[in-house]
Amino acid sequence: MKKVWKIFNFEGAKEIFISMLAIAFAVFLWFLTTYMGWIKPLFLPSPQELIETVIELVAVGYRQISLQMHFLVSLARALFAFSMAGIIGIPMGLLMGFFPVINAILDPFVQFFRPLPKLALIPLVILWFGIGETSKFVLIFMATLLTVVVSVAAAVKNVSENRIRVARALGVNQYQLFRYVILPSVLPDLFTGMRVGVGIGWTTLIAAEMIAAHSGIGWMVLNASSYLRTDIVLLGIVILGTTGYLLDILIVMIQKRAVPWMGKA
Amino acid sequence: MTAEISKFQFINVTKIFSDKRKDSRTVALENLNLAARTGEFICLLGPSGCGKSTALNLMAGFDKPTEGQVLLDGRPIEKPGLDRGVVLQEPTLFPWLKVTENITFGPRMNNAPGEEYIDKAKRYIDLVGLRGFENHYPHELSGGMRQRVAIARAWINEPSVLIMDEPFGALDAQTRLIMQELLLRVWEKLKTTVLFITHDVDESLLMADRVFVMTARPGRITMEVKVPFSRPRDAETLIFSKEFQEVKQKIVRVIKEETLKTMLEAKN
Repeated sequence: MKKVWKIFNFEGAKEIFISMLAIAFAVFLWFLTTYMGWIKPLFLPSPQELIETVIELVAVGYRQISLQMHFLVSLARALFAFSMAGIIGIPMGLLMGFFPVINAILDPFVQFFRPLPKLALIPLVILWFGIGETSKFVLIFMATLLTVVVSVAAAVKNVSENRIRVARALGVNQYQLFRYVILPSVLPDLFTGMRVGVGIGWTTLIAAEMIAAHSGIGWMVLNASSYLRTDIVLLGIVILGTTGYLLDILIVMIQKRAVPWMGKA
Repeated sequence: MTAEISKFQFINVTKIFSDKRKDSRTVALENLNLAARTGEFICLLGPSGCGKSTALNLMAGFDKPTEGQVLLDGRPIEKPGLDRGVVLQEPTLFPWLKVTENITFGPRMNNAPGEEYIDKAKRYIDLVGLRGFENHYPHELSGGMRQRVAIARAWINEPSVLIMDEPFGALDAQTRLIMQELLLRVWEKLKTTVLFITHDVDESLLMADRVFVMTARPGRITMEVKVPFSRPRDAETLIFSKEFQEVKQKIVRVIKEETLKTMLEAKN
């Protein structure tokens, strides 16, 4: 019988178990609050009601589109924007970190746009890119890209001088220094930059789906709120939060595999 | 030092660091003169800030002198290279590479034929006593072991000069003794010219053929000591011998006098 418990013997198992207990307790409080009538259903639907809503949306859909479809649409929008932000942002950050001239040219624009709430850019983006998928892509892309670029550029600048000196004393040329020393050195930070960028980009999803969308979880939340369907609003928020959390965990898992030396030597 | 060509030389080397913002000048080295023969183990000894690391940087090619010349085999040093192996106080291994990959980094970056450097790597791994750890990553090794990898990594390239900046400074006393003996054993076999930086008088007298005592402000050589002890040297017996303690006392006294002098001058 004791052997069954052995699969739970991995590192961090205790913490995960405690987290699950905390979540279970929160759900229990939620159930209790609605069951006892301490908060009206309009403001906080009960957990049971939420489950009914899920069944309804999966079967019948919201505005003719099933829940799964809304979710996939949002996920696709976000993942595509994240991928492009990574594909463009990582090389851009590397170049900025390695070449001071490129940094001098691009940095003012990066630092100007980064702190702007993407919500504020909506009118401009609609004007330039219309109300189709492009403008939604642009918003999420911008949010993720700028974070990744800054992260990567900083990582390159922070490679320890000693490491570079030792590499030079081992006879590397500029290209080798970049490819075999700098690049592996910043790999952990590349993942961290993507992690933060994806987190920020994901929160921009709702802003993006404010632009004349007809599908997506963010759009669903906005639309349902105007009909006072708090249950759908709450469900949408739970889905958004959980997905953001899972995306983060996914990146961390990939990071641990790709960069096993991080945080150690 | 006349007819014999030195392996490396510092000729009237002066290094000044100027900070434009603070409008200050630091004379890190002033008129440094030093020459080493091939195969000699030279030590630069002095307290922190005396300029010994600056001298090392000039030798390694990380920096250039303000005045004077640093020569290797009669030619001025322009930039870092494989001919001057460097071992710093921090092992500075590449954490994404295994031990063997770290050690063979130099040959691989310089197009050495594969079979050749694989054999060499095995030899150096044996020399530094790391057999069995070829496939370990740096974070799986202790500080002493990492430093051994760093030493092998520099030595595999058969440098003209091996430059070491307080390589055992970050290690505990016991490990340090072991590493000192290890280094001497390997050096006896390979007889590379070595420039070794330290602030530890015992270490300098144990390791070197000649010790150059440096003091700061400005950084200069105060005293040259030809170490009289025959090799191979046994650390345990040597350190407690009367002769050793006498030489050590002489050096310590000189360092103390010079340091006090500098402090008094600074006050006035």
